[in-house]
Amino acid sequence: MSFNVSSFLESLISAFKYAPVTLELTAITFVVSLILGTFIATIRHYRVPVLSQFFAIFVTIYMGLPMMVALILYNLIFMTFYNDFAEAFHISVQISDINPIFIGFFALILGTSCSISESVRGAFRGIDKTQYEAGYSIGLTKFQTLRRIIFPQMVPILLPGMQNSLIGLLKASNLVSAISVIEIMTGALLPALLYYSYLEGYVAAALVYWIIGACIELLAAIAEKNSGKYLKRTVG
Amino acid sequence: MIELTSVKKSFAKQEVLKDVSLRVNDGEVVVILGPSGSGKTTLLRCINFLERADSGLMNFGGNEIDLRKTKKKEILYVRRHSAFVFQNYGLFAHKTAIQNVMEGLTQVQKKSKADATKIAEDALSWVGLLDKKDYYPSQLSGGQQQRVGIARAIALKPDVILFDEPTSALDPELVGETLEVIKKVAKSGITMVVVTHEMSFAEEVADRVIFMDGGVVVEEGKPDEIFYRPKEERTRQFLSRIMPVDSYVI
Repeated sequence: MSFNVSSFLESLISAFKYAPVTLELTAITFVVSLILGTFIATIRHYRVPVLSQFFAIFVTIYMGLPMMVALILYNLIFMTFYNDFAEAFHISVQISDINPIFIGFFALILGTSCSISESVRGAFRGIDKTQYEAGYSIGLTKFQTLRRIIFPQMVPILLPGMQNSLIGLLKASNLVSAISVIEIMTGALLPALLYYSYLEGYVAAALVYWIIGACIELLAAIAEKNSGKYLKRTVG
Repeated sequence: MIELTSVKKSFAKQEVLKDVSLRVNDGEVVVILGPSGSGKTTLLRCINFLERADSGLMNFGGNEIDLRKTKKKEILYVRRHSAFVFQNYGLFAHKTAIQNVMEGLTQVQKKSKADATKIAEDALSWVGLLDKKDYYPSQLSGGQQQRVGIARAIALKPDVILFDEPTSALDPELVGETLEVIKKVAKSGITMVVVTHEMSFAEEVADRVIFMDGGVVVEEGKPDEIFYRPKEERTRQFLSRIMPVDSYVI
């Protein structure tokens, strides 16, 4: 038994073919989760009555749920109740015609929003209270102060954590294979199913993930270099 | 004109302001003195609602405001007609000196960028920092940061500027340059309320000195009355602790 280069290349091509699925899952989930997570963190930071308590409890409970469990749970709920639901609302689309990727989006977005909201809350705590007061004192509204003074200063604090979240998300996105969405990993294994070239398949998948991961890290490094120029960040 | 009537404020169970009344006339420079914990900073912060008083009335430029139930619109009105100079400068860390000064001009007063730039440059040159206009606060000394803070305040052309211990966080050798600029503001005729520990400065610029202790106004009067002929024993004790012995007369 040896490493079969042609199987490997075949797997690699197949993995790249399905890379857009992973990229789509990662990018869309990240952007939506960043918005939702910031929203949750802002509500909690300003202690908006009812909503902030609700999100505090929700985030605490939800953070304990493994992504895989959530994914399979939502999938099972969907499978079990879709037909009744479709009947009740007169939806004629067959369950087999629905792309399970939306369940993947749902699970990934919920989980990532919760973890990002905690990072954003941390970033809020990194901003001195005088920054708010200075904004208010020149006559900015609460919202203007948040948008023009507080959020921009949170960006450099958030970048390392967001890079972490993004790469974590890239890696977590392959869990959707459990609900039969084909992405990089399952894509790379398609040829392996024919030739039993699993080693080649997994190496190809690893390589593609690694390339995308390296690109994210590179972009994050550039972003980090260009943000927070105003901070005295070097020690010594 | 600002007139405060029966302002009360507690933090938890600690009563910080116990029925404080105070009047600041247009163009007047009022200096508030007092030991730490006397409520002077809290009082100043209550004026522009950085702190919310529990009860009391404020007349701000003819607008009667109930401090117990202040409307958002009233808070914004007061803040847009006043400026605040912070003890620890309070410059926007991610903005350069000139952007700090321009922020309120463009975002609050809706001036064009060209107009705002002109006003901001004038204000910075007035405090002697035009050459530092593109520096970030982290690249400026404490004294320079505070002067930018003052430029930001005067550029807004407020009805009143509130100074909260503007030199307390500064290195001793930087206090002088900052006080010079504040004196310049005082001489320009802008209404000012200053909380400070700088006695000789207070004596020089104040039209009226207010001495606070334990959450009440103990005594007020012209600087030479307060400094050299204080009527109250508490004022005398306070002055004797912070002024050199030969500079006051009991």
